[in-house]
Amino acid sequence: MAVIDLSKRDAPANDLRQFLDTVCDTHELDYAAYAGVNPIAQTVHGFVNYPDEWQQLYVDQNFQHRDPTLLAASRSIAPVDWKRLHREESFDTIFHAAHDFGISKQGLTIPVRGPYGDIGLFSVTRDCSEREWQLLKSSILSELQAAAVHLHDHVVQSHDMVRRLTHPALSQRETDVLQWIAAGKTQQDVGDILAISSRTVEVHLRSSRTKLGALTTAQAVGRAISLGLIHPG
Amino acid sequence: MILIVDGLNRHRYSNLIDEMFALRARVFKDRLGWDVVVKDGKEIDEFDSLDPAYVLGLDDDGHVVACVRALQTTGPHMLSDVFSDILDGEPPLRSPTLWESTRFCVDTDRLSGGKSRNSVSYATCELMAGSLEFARESGITDIVTVIDPIMNRVLKRSDCVPYGYVGSTKPMGKTSAMAALLDCTEERINRIRAFAGIEGDIFVDDATARALEDGAETPSTATMASEPAQFAPEDAKATPSALQAWCQEQLGAASSTSERTAALDLVATLQDAGMIPEGTLSLNKV
Repeated sequence: MAVIDLSKRDAPANDLRQFLDTVCDTHELDYAAYAGVNPIAQTVHGFVNYPDEWQQLYVDQNFQHRDPTLLAASRSIAPVDWKRLHREESFDTIFHAAHDFGISKQGLTIPVRGPYGDIGLFSVTRDCSEREWQLLKSSILSELQAAAVHLHDHVVQSHDMVRRLTHPALSQRETDVLQWIAAGKTQQDVGDILAISSRTVEVHLRSSRTKLGALTTAQAVGRAISLGLIHPG
Repeated sequence: MILIVDGLNRHRYSNLIDEMFALRARVFKDRLGWDVVVKDGKEIDEFDSLDPAYVLGLDDDGHVVACVRALQTTGPHMLSDVFSDILDGEPPLRSPTLWESTRFCVDTDRLSGGKSRNSVSYATCELMAGSLEFARESGITDIVTVIDPIMNRVLKRSDCVPYGYVGSTKPMGKTSAMAALLDCTEERINRIRAFAGIEGDIFVDDATARALEDGAETPSTATMASEPAQFAPEDAKATPSALQAWCQEQLGAASSTSERTAALDLVATLQDAGMIPEGTLSLNKV
């Protein structure tokens, strides 16, 4: 499998690299990396904000074929703290080398599974005390999960064929919720109108955002309108 | 106690996983009459090959008495495929912070009534608390769970009422099935724990996990005999019958004279301490 460095490509890919930088800035992380396995093309799409020298060495050494933060983590559904991988073969080899580039072996990988057998692996690192790391993790994991899926879906959807074959499939309930939100109702209002709990409204909203590839509800409403799924206001 | 088995550690626990598949066969095929495939007494479907995470509830002897399976809703899962009936043909929810839980069951044959540690109620609550804590620590906020009306009633009675449902209840086998929504908030977890009287860490510690692994070395009898202190009477788990059974196992497993001597010494020590009644072990069995 070949590593395609999206960050060296044109505009959309640069957005992805910027996305990683933003995630790091927002969540007090050192580095972030994404690797996506496309089962159809048999390629690994990767982009990172690690130092260029480390990227070069990583590719030269073909680490992607034995990197447990990719291979082992892809078999989990939960984020994998790299502590769990210390016993894996080649973990030491890779992170001993990474250490020379200032990359900590304290990190985690969030595995993302997509509907087509596609898998994305979103990793972050942070050099700090164990206690700080645990605190940081518990405060940012939900947002990192959302970022990981957003990134992965974006990469998969950037494939022409996938984009042409798929379009967001919202359920009737999700459409109703979005329509009322577009009309200016609050989540509580929508819950009352549809006779469901406010948290159920929230779950449908979050699902709609994911399906529409939107990070915010406002974006989701905008996209749903432009796709003709709901009416404006 | 709760053990999480996933694609990373599954190879170490194949015996427990087989016990789980057997439990699922008894519950979903025999008891609920669902249309599931059972082969060699084990209920396994295509989602088991997708590296799901299993949350296993184990009794004090290390047997699987409860289990549930978790998958991400961003990828293939049961509601997007085989349970689409429940959703009335609507597309399923898809969210990075929503997991799907399926095949939730407890062993009503092995467990008793009431609310003791060995009861159906306790095992159900422990499994529920364990899955919600595991999800919460993974950054997951909500779970959509496919259950039958009996489990739904158990949830309501255990102070864990679902905050919503998706789709509608559909006939399935001898009962029916529905998709309930549960949040993984501390409040809900605390309510379940309070209801069942669950305290402290419910996940198995590293030492126990290693002891549960397939092919794990059982502690040598010599080591155990030299540390009888760990069988202090206040250890709630060391009931006479469990100790007795364990001693019998050690005697049976002894493969040399010295191991057998060590095991016999241990039996004598425990009998002297009044922790197991005398004359209850068949000491002549080699």
